Amino acid sequence: MATEPAQKLPPPPGPIGRWRGERLDQLAELAATPPDERGESLTRETLRRLRHSPMAMTGAAVVLVFVVVALVGPYVIPYSPTALVGLDQIRPGQIPGPSADHWLGLDHQGRDEFSRLLFGARQTLLVGIVATLIGFTAGAAIGGLAGAANALGGRLGRWVDSVLMRFIDLLLAMPPLLLAFSIAAVLGRSLLAVMIAVGVAATPIFARLLRGSMIAQAHRDYVLAATALGVRRNRVVLGHVLPNSLAPVIVQATLTLATAIIEAAGLSFLGLGNPDARIPEWGVMLAQAQAQLSFRPILAVYPAAAIIITALGFTLLGESMREALDPKLRR
Amino acid sequence: MARFIVRRLLQLIPTLAALSVLLFIWLRALPGGPEAALLGERATPETQAAIRERLGLDEPILGQYAAYVRQLLQLDFGTSTQTRQPVLEEFLNRFPGTIELTATAMVIAVGVGIPLGYFAARRRGSLLDNLTVGGSMVGICTPIFFLAFVLKWIFGENLGWLPTIGRQSPGAGATHITNLFVLDGIITREWDAAWDAFLHLLLPGIAVASIPFAIIVRMTRASVLEVLGEDYVRTAESKGLTHRVVRGRHVLRNALLPVVTAIGVLTGALLSGAVLTETVFAFNGIGLFVYEAIRNADYPVLMGFIMFIAFTFVMVNLLVDISYSIIDPRVRVN
Repeated sequence: MATEPAQKLPPPPGPIGRWRGERLDQLAELAATPPDERGESLTRETLRRLRHSPMAMTGAAVVLVFVVVALVGPYVIPYSPTALVGLDQIRPGQIPGPSADHWLGLDHQGRDEFSRLLFGARQTLLVGIVATLIGFTAGAAIGGLAGAANALGGRLGRWVDSVLMRFIDLLLAMPPLLLAFSIAAVLGRSLLAVMIAVGVAATPIFARLLRGSMIAQAHRDYVLAATALGVRRNRVVLGHVLPNSLAPVIVQATLTLATAIIEAAGLSFLGLGNPDARIPEWGVMLAQAQAQLSFRPILAVYPAAAIIITALGFTLLGESMREALDPKLRR
Repeated sequence: MARFIVRRLLQLIPTLAALSVLLFIWLRALPGGPEAALLGERATPETQAAIRERLGLDEPILGQYAAYVRQLLQLDFGTSTQTRQPVLEEFLNRFPGTIELTATAMVIAVGVGIPLGYFAARRRGSLLDNLTVGGSMVGICTPIFFLAFVLKWIFGENLGWLPTIGRQSPGAGATHITNLFVLDGIITREWDAAWDAFLHLLLPGIAVASIPFAIIVRMTRASVLEVLGEDYVRTAESKGLTHRVVRGRHVLRNALLPVVTAIGVLTGALLSGAVLTETVFAFNGIGLFVYEAIRNADYPVLMGFIMFIAFTFVMVNLLVDISYSIIDPRVRVN
């Protein structure tokens, strides 16, 4: 874009004396605007780049299908996901495969696998979104506070920043599984405990990102300009630095949705998930399928594929958003 | 350098102190109170009285905390409610397994990841590049326990090439000195035992390596791409240096700096135990022990484990910073 010809200047207005002065102002303004920012806003350019990226479009399509299935799935499934519709067909070491009645066959308790898979999308989406929101809120609060403290400077600011970040470092070292257990031990085992645990595990990355982004923004020219114009320090940080630092954090939220889904599946697999194992959830289904691995391995493949494809959708979308927003790749 | 190390070690003190306060509060927030949590099924009126005495539970809260800290300072982390052995001893017995697994996984992840990332970057847009980027993305999105099960099912149960359970075949009659089974076999010249232990490491090692591998590949690729576009690489090429010198001294050396940090952090994470993989392969390391502790609500083990993770984490970060200053002369630790 830097190679594009400079914008056409408007025709010179009025008498010569005034004209020269205004003309100089216009030229100065143009010269002060970096070529990237002429004409198109960051948001619009990012969206344009996303529309032209096959990676982004694939990711968006997968995410869209997943969300639709999660919303509509429970109303269109052919069987109740908990009904033992085919219990009479189950023999030890033998589970019926796909048929006209049961598109993906039955699971080990004679429940319709297809219905369970569709129903499970809602649980998965719910856990993913709530956990990500918890991580995002907590991380943004801590990271924002640390970043603001650092940007405001002073001995106290640096001290607050340092204490908060040491805490975040420590949290980063804890395996999510242990967090889940510690939280479940106090709150009791529940779906909420899983969401909180996965959310808390995701907190450090949000906190570090927002803080780093704010510190980087604090040294930009517009901050200097605002400060020079006499805008108060608090307003500079909250009104200028913070909003400009949010983009990478929002991108991270998309990527965290993917990891949240995988981590929640891991917790379910270890038996720390939703205590009601009848409700289909992809992680639980995968864990239950392990017992039938020797004679019906495909039962493990369905939920695993669902997890991988969904996580991949969010990852593709997040990665391409990051690329579209990255000024280094903007050529 | 010595001052830097000492200062970083001193930073451990506030970290561990803060953690001890958190654990202290956590234990008291548990339903049933600390006696029930620490004793598990062994709780009888006598043992409860004994532990009340030992923890000073009848004293005011500050006195209780002082008693707890005094124990920690003596490296007394209590007794496991599962095995009735001191927690520290249990950790020391199982840590070698996790060290072996971590080493195997990191050798795989680094040994394959860095060359692959490098060649993908050099042939950007090629089939190799696209496969590498796509593969690493799928790797990150695959639940590790599923990968572990697939590996176990294909290479263990169906093809029967590799063992899938434990760290060494039972009845191998191996002598154990360090509890690093491969090393023990080499020291005692029991080559069969060492080979057997090595084979047991392969499948879990691959499973554990998957995520570090994906991260290392992507970081190497991105970093090499960035360095390849730098002015000093063009300068080096234009002044006629051989490709080998340019690649080795100018490209790789600069590109690997961020990767080294990542390798350190990833190693630290693995050293705290691969719970999912160790569970699938019944591999007796820290991860499996913690999983069993979680299943049996073995609080003394879990509290000791949290302290252990914090300690490992700080030490690994220290090592990363030191190695960084050795590789990159621009970074002087001060």
